[in-house]
Parts: sequence; C-alpha cells; structure tokens
Amino acid sequence: MHDIADLESRRIPGVGVASSEFVDAAALQARALGFDPAMVFVPHPIQDRTDDEMRALAEAALPEILRLLRAGGGDGN
Amino acid sequence: MNGHILLDPTAELAPAQRPRLARPASLQGKVVGLLDISKPRGNVFLDQIEAQLAAMGIEVKRYSKPTFTRIAPTPLKQQIAAEVDLLVEGLAD
Amino acid sequence: MPVSLPDGLIVVAKADCPTCRLVEPLLAELAGAGPLTVYVQDSADYAASLPGTLYDQTLEHSYRLGIEFVPTLIRVRDGQEVERTYGWHRDDWRALSGVATLGEGLPLMRPGCGSKTLEPGIAERLELAFGDLRLQSREIDVGDAEDAIEACYERGWSDGLPVVPPTPVRVLRMLKGTSRAPDEVVGLMPPDLVPCTVEKVAVNAVMAGCKPEYMPVLLAALEASLTDAFGLHGLICTTMFGSPLIIVNGPVARAIGMNSGVNALGQGNRANATIGRALQLIIRNVGGGRPGEIDRATLGNPGKYSFCFAEAEDSEWLPLAQERGIEAGRSAVTLFPGEGVQGIVDQKSRDPESLARSFALSLRTVDHAKLALAGDAVLVVSPEHARVFIEAGWSKQRLREELERLLLAPGAELVAGAGGIAEGIPAQFREMQIPKFRPGGLLIVRAGGSAGLFSAIIAGWAASGAVGSSPVTREVLT
Repeated sequence: MHDIADLESRRIPGVGVASSEFVDAAALQARALGFDPAMVFVPHPIQDRTDDEMRALAEAALPEILRLLRAGGGDGN
Repeated sequence: MNGHILLDPTAELAPAQRPRLARPASLQGKVVGLLDISKPRGNVFLDQIEAQLAAMGIEVKRYSKPTFTRIAPTPLKQQIAAEVDLLVEGLAD
Repeated sequence: MPVSLPDGLIVVAKADCPTCRLVEPLLAELAGAGPLTVYVQDSADYAASLPGTLYDQTLEHSYRLGIEFVPTLIRVRDGQEVERTYGWHRDDWRALSGVATLGEGLPLMRPGCGSKTLEPGIAERLELAFGDLRLQSREIDVGDAEDAIEACYERGWSDGLPVVPPTPVRVLRMLKGTSRAPDEVVGLMPPDLVPCTVEKVAVNAVMAGCKPEYMPVLLAALEASLTDAFGLHGLICTTMFGSPLIIVNGPVARAIGMNSGVNALGQGNRANATIGRALQLIIRNVGGGRPGEIDRATLGNPGKYSFCFAEAEDSEWLPLAQERGIEAGRSAVTLFPGEGVQGIVDQKSRDPESLARSFALSLRTVDHAKLALAGDAVLVVSPEHARVFIEAGWSKQRLREELERLLLAPGAELVAGAGGIAEGIPAQFREMQIPKFRPGGLLIVRAGGSAGLFSAIIAGWAASGAVGSSPVTREVLT
C-alpha cells in the first residue's frame, strides 16, 4: 500500500491486490497513510492454492481490477 | 497521550485523506505495470492478469520487488513511473 | 471550580515525596475525625488502607484542584473549598483539620514537593485533557510507524521544506503567545475565502517554526494582508512574481530578536524566517493558494518561502511605520506585494545628489524600464548609503522627493515601440513627463549591515493601487 501511495504521488494511478485477510489491516494502513488506495481483495487462502486455482482467482478478480483502473471506479467517485 | 496526533492546518474543505488520482476513461493505448511484491504464488496470479490484459490488447510491463518485507526501492519506483500509465501491485497475503 | 468537592478534608500527596510519607500515618487519624478523601498522584501504594484514598492516575483531580505542592490539605464545606495549606505545618494542619493533637511526635514544619501536575510537559497535556480550552481543528492520526515530518509532506502541507508537525501540545503552546481566543476569526482567507481562526494561525505557525511570542506580529501581518487594499486574492492568483513581504517596525522587532542588520533580507534569523513562512503556509493550507493550482505564477520568487525583515531604526530617519501614521514607540507591520531583490552597487558616490541619481537609474527598471505607474517599489537603503543622505541633512522624504523628480521621464522615450522595443506605455502619453511611480508608490526603508555601499530594490507587483495591491500598515497588538 505504501508503494501504491508513493506511485500515486508520482502521478501513476494504482490498484493493490491482497488476500481477504488484509481487509482490516488495509483500513488501518490507509488511516496512517492519509491515503486509501484502491484495493481488490481475493479470497484467502493463497499459499496452498494450485496453479489452476490461482488462475481462477485472477480471472475472478480482473473485472474489479479493471473497474478500479478506470475513471468512475478507481478515483473514489 | 498519542504522540502521533496532528492538528489539521488546512481549512478542512477536503477529506482528511488524500484523494486518489483520476483514472483514464479507457485502458486502450495505456501501459499497465504489474508489480510483484515477491510473495510466493503471486507470480502465477499476475501471469494470469497479464494474459487477460494482453488478450484485451493492453500493453503490460512486469516488475518485481526484491522482497515483500520492504517498500519498493526508489530506482524501481522511478522506473515504473517513467514506463507505465497505471499500476497493479500484488499479491499480499 | 463549579464542580462540587467532597465535604470534609482532602489531602493530595505523592508517594515519592518524603513529607507526604511523613504525614501518611496521620491520615488514619484524620479519617477517624471526619470524611477524608486522599488523592495520590503517582502510586496506588500510599494510604492504601483508607477507604477514601484514590490513585489520581490521570491527574484530573489534582489539575482541577489547582495543586501546586504536595502534600496539600484542603477543607471543604458544602461542596466548596474554604481553606487549604501545603507542605507540613503542624499548627496549620491542626487548625484546618480541627484535630488538636495531630502530629504530636512530628517536627513543627517540613516543606513539601512540587505537584506532579506541574512537571514539564504534563501541565500542557492536562490543560488539553481537562482544561477549558477546546481545540477545534480536525485531528489527523498519522499512525505509529509513520515519520510525522514525512506525513506532513504526504498530506501536502509543506512549502517544500520540512515543517514542524503540529501536535496539540505545540499548538497549545503557540496559542499562549496571544491573548486572543483560538476560535476568533481573523478574516476570510483567499483564494478559497474560508474563515481563518487564531487556532489555524497557530497550527501553521507551529509548522513554520515560530515561537509563541511571534504570534502578535504574525496576526497583525495576516490582518494587514486580508484588507481589501492589499488585494491578497489577486496577488496569489497572478502570473507575476509577487507575494507578501512583511516589514516590521517598533520595539517588538528587538523584543523578539528580529534581524535588521547583516543579511537582513536573507536567511539565518528565526523570527524573520518563520514569521514570513507562517504567512505563506496559511495562504497555502488555509487559503488553498498552491502553485500549479490557483497560484499560476510563471516564475515566482524565493520570497515565497518567506520574506520578512525588520527596519533598522537606529538613525535619524523616520521609520516606515511612523511615515505611514503609526505613533512613535508603537510596533507595526507593513505588508507589501514584493517580487524579489535587485541590488544597487554604488561604491563611489559620496554626495547625496550622485547617490540619488544611482538609485533613480536603477529604480527605472522596476517591471520594465519603459513601464510607469505599474508596480510600487521598496527601496532598501543600507546604513552606509543612508549615512550619505543623513550627514547631508536629507530625510527620507527629501530623498523621496529627489527620486520622484529624477524619475520623471519624457513619454516619448517610454511609449510602446520607442527604442525599437514593443513594450511601453500607451502612445497618448508621448508628450507628457511621466513619473515612474504613482504618488506614495515608493517606500523607503533602512536596513542591512553597517559595512557595504550596496542598497536594494524590492519591486512590487505591477498592479498597484485599486487594480491590484497597495501596501498596508497595521499596528501589532497582542
């Protein structure tokens, strides 16, 4: 999230992807940063997924990632 | 007493949080960077994201941090800022 | 205190105060004679066996009772304090408690210790927690892992240089530099035209690095800048160079340690640097005047970090503020829409006529040598140059009149196109003698080190008067 915040200050809009375990931590981090990065949360767990399961997670996450990369979705409006 | 509370010096017209940058109306013609934070399995996820974006005709550039335990090194951030229009970073778990 | 106190006796003590320990055995006797409340400031391990003992961990009770020393003994009747004593004085304690044989085996007198509420840093935190002062500014939690100075940068509060993180304690200290109420509105801050309170001034003054004693000067400068005549809104929005310059006159300059001497227009002096900076930060943070947004200055000037100095008043010349109507012996600030510093090197003129001609020749180039009646200007005369005039008996006014005469130019030289230069004044003025500055547009101050035959021009925004900005002088109060 720090990286996203930093790159936004370099004029690059960003989206972070994290496991659903991160939801609370991300909220706390946003408060500390004074910046709430666009985030997509994918269902936990991650580590013990097969490659096929990981690819399925990516397919499921793509629409939200795209939405947050485009105007009207990612700029918080 | 929390030593990390500061008083807002502004007129408080804006939310206390910095707003996100405006995004483009369309991704066509844009370069999307994928930054791997280098946790295991993240690369499989990002490979699939890359494949899907490429199938949409969107140019993708790949990057990875040396370690997920630290923020990205400045030269890497500078490189990303110079080479892409948008960034996706993952996969944190 | 509007709050009703517990009737009977109150003792406030610290476990690590020897005198408090000395009287500790007496407390059971006092408790036997009537209601007794014991507030212990630092420990649960003092008079612990008594039912009326309370560990005043937050120090709220001690703060509200205004405790300065421990032990303090207070008698309360009908919820109100009637009498108190502090330290151990056997006769006072006997009289106050009504226990005639109290402390029989103890020495007659022992001094007490300081109350914990008055320890450095604690007093302010207590005032914030329990006092009447209510700070209105939104609290921003920058989190434990964050460097507070970086957090200020990230939130866009900085002018490019690090700011002092505005914690509530720092703001409280800053507010003590003025008698004005924190919620008093000083004025509407352009460009966003939002109310700027004394508290917001204090928050930005903290960030700038001001001391609390600078607040009266800063508040006067802010008020001057917010007058209609000064035209701050236009000055912020201009594509030209200008931004507020603060010139300080009167006893306050010396009192707060301002610099009017060596390097007066430069860096190194905290009051000069931070008062000017605070005004700029208020413009940025409260008013919303930021470069690249409302502030579209093509080039700007370094004075937009901070531009504030004191006039050197140790000569026969009348200080600027007095020329502008402020009584002698009073302090004042003059706000001027300054653009930068241009030096005048004249190391050969020994008579006032020659030196005045040097000045006039340099003053011609304010804005553009062929423009007139555009910007005002401040002429900063160094002590060595000023001496040339003073020893010849020339007051500032005499110098000004001479300069105004020298700065009359034939319109034909100035009109657009003259000299092969497209810029210039309108053709209709061709036949006239044109003054460089509007009446009252040339301000003269004396400042600088005592060695150096160099003076300077601070040009003013090329929109002077009603169309733009006029200098404004305002008295410094508290």
